Amino acid sequence: MSLDYVKFTPGFEKFMPKEYRDMVEHGPFGKKISVSQVGTFKEILEEHPMCAGCAMTLFIRLAVVAFPNPEDTITVGTAGCGRLAISQAAVPFVYGNYGDQNGVASGLTRGLRLRFGDQPKDVVVMAGDGGMADIGFAQTLHSWFRKEKFTTIMLDNEVYGNTGGQESGMTNKNQVLKMAPLGKKFEKMDMLGMAKVAGCAYVATVVPNNPRRVESVIKKAVLVAREIGPTYIQAYTSCNIEYAIPTDKVMEDAKTVETDRYKFSEYITDEAKDYLAQLYGYKEYLPKPVAAVEGK
Amino acid sequence: MYLVANIDTGICAATSCKLCTQYCPEANTILYDNEAGQEKGLKYGSAYVAVDRCKGCAQCVWVCDNMAKHNAIKMEMIDQIGDTALTENVTYGEKTSHATLANPVRG
Repeated sequence: MSLDYVKFTPGFEKFMPKEYRDMVEHGPFGKKISVSQVGTFKEILEEHPMCAGCAMTLFIRLAVVAFPNPEDTITVGTAGCGRLAISQAAVPFVYGNYGDQNGVASGLTRGLRLRFGDQPKDVVVMAGDGGMADIGFAQTLHSWFRKEKFTTIMLDNEVYGNTGGQESGMTNKNQVLKMAPLGKKFEKMDMLGMAKVAGCAYVATVVPNNPRRVESVIKKAVLVAREIGPTYIQAYTSCNIEYAIPTDKVMEDAKTVETDRYKFSEYITDEAKDYLAQLYGYKEYLPKPVAAVEGK
Repeated sequence: MYLVANIDTGICAATSCKLCTQYCPEANTILYDNEAGQEKGLKYGSAYVAVDRCKGCAQCVWVCDNMAKHNAIKMEMIDQIGDTALTENVTYGEKTSHATLANPVRG
């Protein structure tokens, strides 16, 4: 797809908002950029009030950099820490009432398809574990069962960090928190399993201590959601406040948790593999040559 | 006064890892100047910190010390680091950014 339409019509530059001009002239709008280039271009995400050293902030930052076409992307969020940063980005952000985000995204995706036809407009939901696995659980699962074509990203900090440390469905069993002094009584919810059962075409778990991997899974999820079906990414984004992780040890914690219980996993349907290989040149999903298969 | 990250250009420009730019939780804060090492005869550019955006978490210090093993970043009091980068003095060029240095306390 050509990105020429992002360029300004000569003479009209001055009428565009400065934030938009910055994104076109110094940012990623209309260009292909990667995480390895950060620091050399103006990022979409701007200043935000999230806590110092927050892993969720890092993940959001990397995710926004990884959007394949940020100029054609709309984010949807809900109450929780994440929206404090997601809303401070130079892409449209829709705030769904608590738990509504996947319902809002469903309508938005359908409306954009009616309005823009085959011009892809990516809708990306980013919400916390509470908004997605507890309060928004029904709407999240229903959007997957309905095969709504957008990406759902869970910012899984395993706690209601914004309201003082209550347990969520994604908190680990026996975990003691400020507002769960006796420890959680049941297991962490298997949202990955439910995403697969509900028919998501691409499901991945990721931890932000590997920026290029974050970039890779976000790109795949957004691209697959354009044509194939719903996609789900579950990201471990620790809450250093509620879990008392010193800010300079946040990445050390991420590394430990990734090794211990949040290993990278990726599930992709054959249809999605074929789509990524044929349309976007993903070589790892190209059919293996017959000779190589026979040699095994 | 408060702590902010300060990157040793001499150490940074001898490598080209850029890890700190990817691990900072704040956007547009640890930036990269492709020409920063040239005046010192070093091989690569260097990362630098727009200190008005730095929240002092020191994640970059852990990444530089433990992942990159370059030990190029230290946390320093903002009134002790002298001239440094501020967001309003950052300009973006072709595949690089550059900051005109200024004193963050005196302006």
